[in-house]
Amino acid sequence: MAEFCRDPPYPSRRTWLSAVLFVFGACVASTALSQDYPSRPIRIIVPFPAGGTADLLARQIGQIMSEALRQQVLIENRAGAGGNIGADLAARSKPDGYTLLMGTVSTHAINPNLYPKMPYDPVKDFAPVTMVARMPNLLVVHPSVPANNVAELIALAKARPGALAFASAGNGTTQHLAGELFKKMAGVDMIHVPYKGNAPAVTDLVGGQVQVMFDNIPVSLQQVRAGKLRALAVTGPARSPVLPELPTLAEAALPGYSITSWFGLYAPSGTSPQIIERLNREANKALATAQIRRRLTDQGIEPAGGTPGQFADFMRAELVKWGKIVRESGARVD
Amino acid sequence: MELLANLQLGFEVALTLQNVLYCFLGVFLGTLIGVLPGIGPVATIAMLLPATFALPPVSALIMLAGIYYGAQYGGSTTAILVNLPGEASSVVTCLDGYAMAQQGRAGPALAVAALGSFFAGTVATLILAMFAPPLAEVAFKFGPAEYFSLMVLGLIAAIVLARGSLIKAIAMILLGLLLGLIGADTNTGQFRFTFGLPQLADGIGFVVVAMGLFGFSEIIANIERRARREVVMAKITSLFPTREDLKASWKAVLRGTAIGALLGILPGGGATLGSFAAYTLEKKVAKDPSRFGKGAIEGVAGPESANNAGAQTSFIPLLTLGIPANAVMALMVGAMTIHGITPGPQVMTERPELFWGMIASMWIGNLLLVVLNLPLIGIWVKLLSVPYRILYPAILLFACIGVYSLNNSAIDVALALAFGFLGYLFIKLDCEPAPLLLGFVLGPMMEENLRRALLLSRGDPTVFVTRPLSLALLVVAAALLVIVVVPAVRRKREEAFQE
Repeated sequence: MAEFCRDPPYPSRRTWLSAVLFVFGACVASTALSQDYPSRPIRIIVPFPAGGTADLLARQIGQIMSEALRQQVLIENRAGAGGNIGADLAARSKPDGYTLLMGTVSTHAINPNLYPKMPYDPVKDFAPVTMVARMPNLLVVHPSVPANNVAELIALAKARPGALAFASAGNGTTQHLAGELFKKMAGVDMIHVPYKGNAPAVTDLVGGQVQVMFDNIPVSLQQVRAGKLRALAVTGPARSPVLPELPTLAEAALPGYSITSWFGLYAPSGTSPQIIERLNREANKALATAQIRRRLTDQGIEPAGGTPGQFADFMRAELVKWGKIVRESGARVD
Repeated sequence: MELLANLQLGFEVALTLQNVLYCFLGVFLGTLIGVLPGIGPVATIAMLLPATFALPPVSALIMLAGIYYGAQYGGSTTAILVNLPGEASSVVTCLDGYAMAQQGRAGPALAVAALGSFFAGTVATLILAMFAPPLAEVAFKFGPAEYFSLMVLGLIAAIVLARGSLIKAIAMILLGLLLGLIGADTNTGQFRFTFGLPQLADGIGFVVVAMGLFGFSEIIANIERRARREVVMAKITSLFPTREDLKASWKAVLRGTAIGALLGILPGGGATLGSFAAYTLEKKVAKDPSRFGKGAIEGVAGPESANNAGAQTSFIPLLTLGIPANAVMALMVGAMTIHGITPGPQVMTERPELFWGMIASMWIGNLLLVVLNLPLIGIWVKLLSVPYRILYPAILLFACIGVYSLNNSAIDVALALAFGFLGYLFIKLDCEPAPLLLGFVLGPMMEENLRRALLLSRGDPTVFVTRPLSLALLVVAAALLVIVVVPAVRRKREEAFQE
């Protein structure tokens, strides 16, 4: 629409008239559209490979939403470029409510601050539907590391600068940036060792090739329970119900430290508010089912939910927060 | 005997009517998608995930696992019949399998592949049952330094793999390494050779390259030698291997099984190396290595056994530790999570029925695959007598669908076509694409592990020789290099003497 109004410098009466008619028509069409919405299958683009947390969240919620919406919800994995490829595709899709995106902290808070050239604008190109889930990262060490709490780890790192190495799932991932923030706030030096994804990083951590990791909680929780890794703290603002005895990093040693990974459902901007409202209602209902809540909390994931407005506010704050972390960490992707 | 009791528990779970049915469904689907070029197990399992919600977890996992190793079986079919490798592991099957098919011996090639795979699957399943936990510990001894040395060994093996000119083989490996560099560098996040295209940010997919270089290029080349192709059709003799065939291949099956099972344990690309390593070994121990690439049955039997053994043992890190070794295993982790099982070291003790049930089902699945595949051989071979003008457009279509389904990306299809023309050029220049593919697979892993090893050693390059496992691998690599170079040197000297 903006294009339409901007283009002719001196709009004649006829163009004005047709513009008014167009807007009117579009409004009628969109109400009609949202009344019998959805009349065909909805696709949720997941900008990461099948089997990851974002994918599983989309599949589980999609399943329940499809029953309520009486339409199939299809999951389409479009991985690549740290999630940018899938998110860009969603941004450029028709805003008709039939294409949604399972966005994450990476696609909508970290990448815009990390990549020098972004194919989409995380705020302008998307209409937030709802936050889906959030989870803290877990500070874990190999059992051979002589540190039983955060203070001891910091003391160890200070005593032997550069002797400890921390693994991550790649440059600019939360695992990487959580480590860099830790280094900065604790004033210690550790070597960053990036891997291609979480699994190989955890393998080398369990094997003792690297000593420290700020891992996603669902991955390393079981290794901690089996005694293959030692957990020292969670990175979030509050303790995790799955490991209630474990302090947050802020409580333990670094006041103000807070890192949370999150997932949220987006529609392309321009999607009608009625459709957003409907999707928000169904997504919140799906997140409230006992089965989903139990499955997620068992893994250390916190089901979120809430209004589109709350999610938009949260995301804006996150963009600022991660901008600062990315700048201070010196992480780069180009 | 704890093992017997465990196996009994496993078979009790796996042999219920429902689980046998799901196992059959899995291997049947796996065979189908394996035969359709390019449509891999990842896309299939992802699509079927929601459908397993309603099943009990054990049945769901039995079915999903069946799809995975069923696809390994099916993948060899297209490799042998039409030179289309659907998976990294079937690339080497193309070399001699397709040559056998061109000689009218597609039947024996398919039969040996199936029988060898069954034997390998049985042995590997037993290994899994007996030694899974200690073997998982072995995988942890492999740090970045060891992986780097293993890759060096693999690259030297790639030279052995080639037939014909050594210079051309090395050139192809280097080209493969360069192609492997495309994408974001893991260590620094720098984009290399991406030309600003975000679609190239994660590099080019293996299937894209393999499909183009092997399958598409062969189709182009076949158009100009159509007359010969019809002669091939006429001389299909027997469907099943002769006594000599079996005599020639049983040792290859044994060796392939051992190598494949061993390398399959390593999560970092070991399974891919298995079939390449088995082929190299067969060529080295053969009395007449010149037969390889021209339809040597050992060249099918060894790699196919290695491939299937590796497919089974690659479950070890997943089942014992909950760490996925590849994209399919990552999906299995997802499937477990959806079913409320958190994969991890405790699955074995907390859910023994799941662990042992899956292991028992793998053996049953392998048996079902042989029963399913042997009668199908006749049908597959008949497929070759479908007129060329109908068969090949159909193959091209399925291959394009398969390539597209990898990432739902049209650019991948275009790239595969580009590699098809490149492969045609290679055929004309008499350059082998197999070393290129090995370089393409190993190069990025080698670089990643080299730099990671040096990061962890704080820049000290002696890690590669001070760590015993890494040293041992480098010594083997050096020995192999000597074996390759020495006959060449000797020949040169003889030539010099003659002049």
